[in-house]
Amino acid sequence: MKMVIAVIKPFKIEEVTDALNKLGVSGVTLIEVRGHGRQKGHTEVYRGAEYRIEYLPKVRLEIVCEDADAEKIATTISESARTGKIGDGKFWIVPVETVGRIRTGELGSDAL
Amino acid sequence: MSRGKKFFLLTTLTLIALIAVGQLNHHADPGGPAGQGNGTVLNATKAATNNPLGITKVPLSATGMQTLANNVAHVAISVNFTWLLITGFLVLFMQVGFAFLVTGLTRAKNAGHMMMMNLVSFVVALMAYYAVGFAFQFGGIAPIANLGGTSPLTSMFGHGSAGVIGLHGFFLQSGNTYDVGVLAFFLFQVVFMETAGYIIIGAIAERISFAGFLFAEVAMGAIVYPIYGNWVWGGGWLSKLGTSLHLGHGAVDFAGSGVVHATGGWAALALAMLLGPRIGKYREDGTVRAFPGHNLGYVVIGTLVLTFGWMGFNPGSTFGATDLRIAIVAVNTLLAACSGAIIAMAWTNWKWGKPDISMTCNGMLAGLVAITAPCAFVAPWASVVIGIIAGMLVCWSVEFFDKKARVDDPCGAISVHGMCGAWGVLAVGLFADGTYGIGWNGVSTSALHGVQGIFYGDPGQLGAQIIDMVVGFIWAWGVMWLLFRIAMRFIKTRVDPEVEIAGLDEGEFGQICYPDFVLRTETDIGVTHELDAPVGTSAATPVTSE
Repeated sequence: MKMVIAVIKPFKIEEVTDALNKLGVSGVTLIEVRGHGRQKGHTEVYRGAEYRIEYLPKVRLEIVCEDADAEKIATTISESARTGKIGDGKFWIVPVETVGRIRTGELGSDAL
Repeated sequence: MSRGKKFFLLTTLTLIALIAVGQLNHHADPGGPAGQGNGTVLNATKAATNNPLGITKVPLSATGMQTLANNVAHVAISVNFTWLLITGFLVLFMQVGFAFLVTGLTRAKNAGHMMMMNLVSFVVALMAYYAVGFAFQFGGIAPIANLGGTSPLTSMFGHGSAGVIGLHGFFLQSGNTYDVGVLAFFLFQVVFMETAGYIIIGAIAERISFAGFLFAEVAMGAIVYPIYGNWVWGGGWLSKLGTSLHLGHGAVDFAGSGVVHATGGWAALALAMLLGPRIGKYREDGTVRAFPGHNLGYVVIGTLVLTFGWMGFNPGSTFGATDLRIAIVAVNTLLAACSGAIIAMAWTNWKWGKPDISMTCNGMLAGLVAITAPCAFVAPWASVVIGIIAGMLVCWSVEFFDKKARVDDPCGAISVHGMCGAWGVLAVGLFADGTYGIGWNGVSTSALHGVQGIFYGDPGQLGAQIIDMVVGFIWAWGVMWLLFRIAMRFIKTRVDPEVEIAGLDEGEFGQICYPDFVLRTETDIGVTHELDAPVGTSAATPVTSE
């Protein structure tokens, strides 16, 4: 099993969710996070004094899935979250040892 | 005995003492318990020169006429009482605006502390003003015609033109001051004092200890505010500059640009200088760090509430609705507020690339503060000019104190209230057009004109205003600096660095304003590193009490 992790722009959540639903993805975890990529943060002025916003608000999606589905899910997220401008985010896929459903105690693929 | 128990006993004993001393001073009420004595034919005609209820028709008998005249006069005085009380309530509501304003301009970790200071400044300073402040300020003011009756506030230390402190009205009872007129006047004046009292919160925010804050509030309510207030409003020596030195109509400050706002602002300057900047405000390379306020919505709400309250602050200062100048006062106030806000918006957009929300709010307040002294004496066009200059002054001043003077003032209290208050006092000496204020401060000119600025031919008035402005600064800044410097030797006036980093909500009260949220931000993360820097090397090293 794999976990697809994506960090995207917050205002893209609806489009990504719709695309994932169309794909039939069952479980998604969304976390509000802050971070920056190559472009770093930006400088703002507050009452005449400059300050840096180093970490920009983003959302992070986590989806555990079968090995075969991982690439498709990642591509879907990538396409639906894309604006073409800097700061669109990243995704990555990591292996998952196992997964369990807490309510029933099922393990592995049954738990997905 | 624990310190908390000691403080509780001390507070209780103080309150009991206040009750006892008040009771000992008990005298009969001169105006009658319902104020029947206020408003006779004599003081009503004196009170209302342009009174639409003026007596024109003579009834059948002399006795009938007398009764009718007394009734009409009583109605006029009652209208004035109502006006004074209602506008006083409006000024009281400004407390809400200030609480929103200063809490919004500071960080979420200190929000509970900010709100608590706004609440407690009210109760502590009110009791101090009740005990001694009101008597110091108005104990020797002459009877106020608009309120009728025979005022018992007649005792002043310092004769003639040299009055320095009032002596009737301690605990609102000494010297027969248990009187409807005096108490209506007290209500209106105590909320003004509260305004000066909470101005200082903006500059001491996010680092003062609660004990240090309580001390500052008592000093404000009992000494700093009332004594200078006596000099300008209570019949003291600054108001007599017109009769003693023939400087115009003496120091003229209609609703308190100087008495209330500059006093609060300059006292705030003294406190901010003694406390030192918040940890991390100035980086080791000398650059200034911004600590963005946590709720700009609060800032805007607060500003609009304050503007609404100002409709009591300025028009109420006629002490009566029978003086129809109130309409001009109200409109002038709004004109200055809006022009100040517009200029601040345009200035910040020009200088910093975008209009700054909180500075636009500060610009609005700057206009309000500046028009407070001249509002009754100037034409509408001059109000706009005064507001525009105030709006520019506040933008320049915030940057000046932040970057050049390096006085950390989280909410801009020094710039808004100190600088623009001083400008308002000065503006009377420039723009007053002579249409209002005939006989102000007991000055009667042969030409029978009102308060006139230098642009309308009276340079003496400008002289009186400059003296008032300078004396106001020296008194408020100097006395507060001295008192607080002494207090620093005995009480802990600034919180520990650990408490400041964690937030004063937690350290001072053990209660957090927003317990359901994680509050740390990147600005705080940067700051915690500086806490590890060797003491003395960082510009952020706070001035600590000995």
